[in-house]
Amino acid sequence: MPAVHQATVTAPSHFAPRHGDFRLSRFNPLDRILAYDDFNSGTHGWVELLGNYDGQSNLDTVDDHMRDFRPPQLSSCSFFDVGTHGAMSGTYALKVATRPEAGHTAVAIRRLTMAGRGRVQFETFFTFKAEAASEENDAAAQAGGGQWDGNTHPSETQFGAFTIATDICDTVRYHCVARYLNTDLGNHLQRQWVYPSVPEPTPREHLEGKANLDRLADFTAPNPEDWHPFGDAQELCYNEVPTKVNWHYLRWQIDTATRSNVELQVNDRIYDMREIPVPPYDEPYGSLGNLLNFYVSARTHTNVRNFLFLDSVLISVDW
Amino acid sequence: MLQSLSVVLERNTRLDGTFTTEPYEVAWAREARWFVRVLDMEGVDACLEAVTQISPDGLHWCDLNDEGIRLSDRGLATLPAREFGGWLRLKGSVTGNAAMAKVMVYLVLKS
Repeated sequence: MPAVHQATVTAPSHFAPRHGDFRLSRFNPLDRILAYDDFNSGTHGWVELLGNYDGQSNLDTVDDHMRDFRPPQLSSCSFFDVGTHGAMSGTYALKVATRPEAGHTAVAIRRLTMAGRGRVQFETFFTFKAEAASEENDAAAQAGGGQWDGNTHPSETQFGAFTIATDICDTVRYHCVARYLNTDLGNHLQRQWVYPSVPEPTPREHLEGKANLDRLADFTAPNPEDWHPFGDAQELCYNEVPTKVNWHYLRWQIDTATRSNVELQVNDRIYDMREIPVPPYDEPYGSLGNLLNFYVSARTHTNVRNFLFLDSVLISVDW
Repeated sequence: MLQSLSVVLERNTRLDGTFTTEPYEVAWAREARWFVRVLDMEGVDACLEAVTQISPDGLHWCDLNDEGIRLSDRGLATLPAREFGGWLRLKGSVTGNAAMAKVMVYLVLKS
């Protein structure tokens, strides 16, 4: 049983409004804003993650577990019961949607590079949903479903996990990762932030015979025992049914000067992540000078589509 | 400047029998175009046919019109769509004796 990291939970600091622009005033950016992604004006570089392929453009050479991460969607957050819910700002949010297949993961990635070293911060307003039941998708009969008790809806236990993560290389390659494990693999509510203690398997490791993962493997860290909790469980606002959208604030800060996590704020909680390890790769990787990628994923633990919605994203740095 | 977005809904996927692609949200777009590329086809008298389906909610679906694509060999076919509402998918079948089609399915959207 791995040790549980008891992160310090403190009240959020008071941030004075730093921008006259009302679109930015709901964020708490570092000094330099690298990217502001308002999904009313396109996908802003968020694209489906795909594994690497050979020199003949043969996509059969893509690793099985990295060939079907689904293209992100510009979603109006529309539902069968009320129509268009809309985003927090305007009509459209970025939606990352899994297939209705237990173990399927959907991943959207944004690719940057680093012009310096220091603090890097990812902020977003997000929500997460499992797909509402219909006759065609038969979600009501899938694992995690159950009786509606008038308050908690069975849909909530049909959402597996969402992840925010990086892929960084400054001669050493490493990933900072934070995952909200809504349910365990048995579809029981956990509501726990977790981190992986191993680096993500890469296509090169597969080519070298060091890894060969199943199509539905958890690509960030395939072994469930390599995921460890940090902080106390946190109940988010699923808001009972699969068709109500409440936006949550998330602010995640890392330090590329020290290759470490710093802290994660989700609404009124701040998790101190400075002691949470960031496992580097043992071997060097070429072609990745100053790599700075961010990715978000949704992973379903039952045969029901899971959705992660981002209203907007702001990435800032202190260099 | 108007918006555009190209996505790959199926990638080197081996299809047989009936199929539907995953629901894709397109409320922001005014026009769409499918590209279906058959990379390989196996079986006797194998044929891939597909039509555009639309939905008010991503859950319940009907055909957009009578237009469709038909491929009986390797190659690329295309199908336009307009006035489709908020969601698109392809519904189709691969028919023939021991038939299989290995496909790429692209959806190209413009505002």
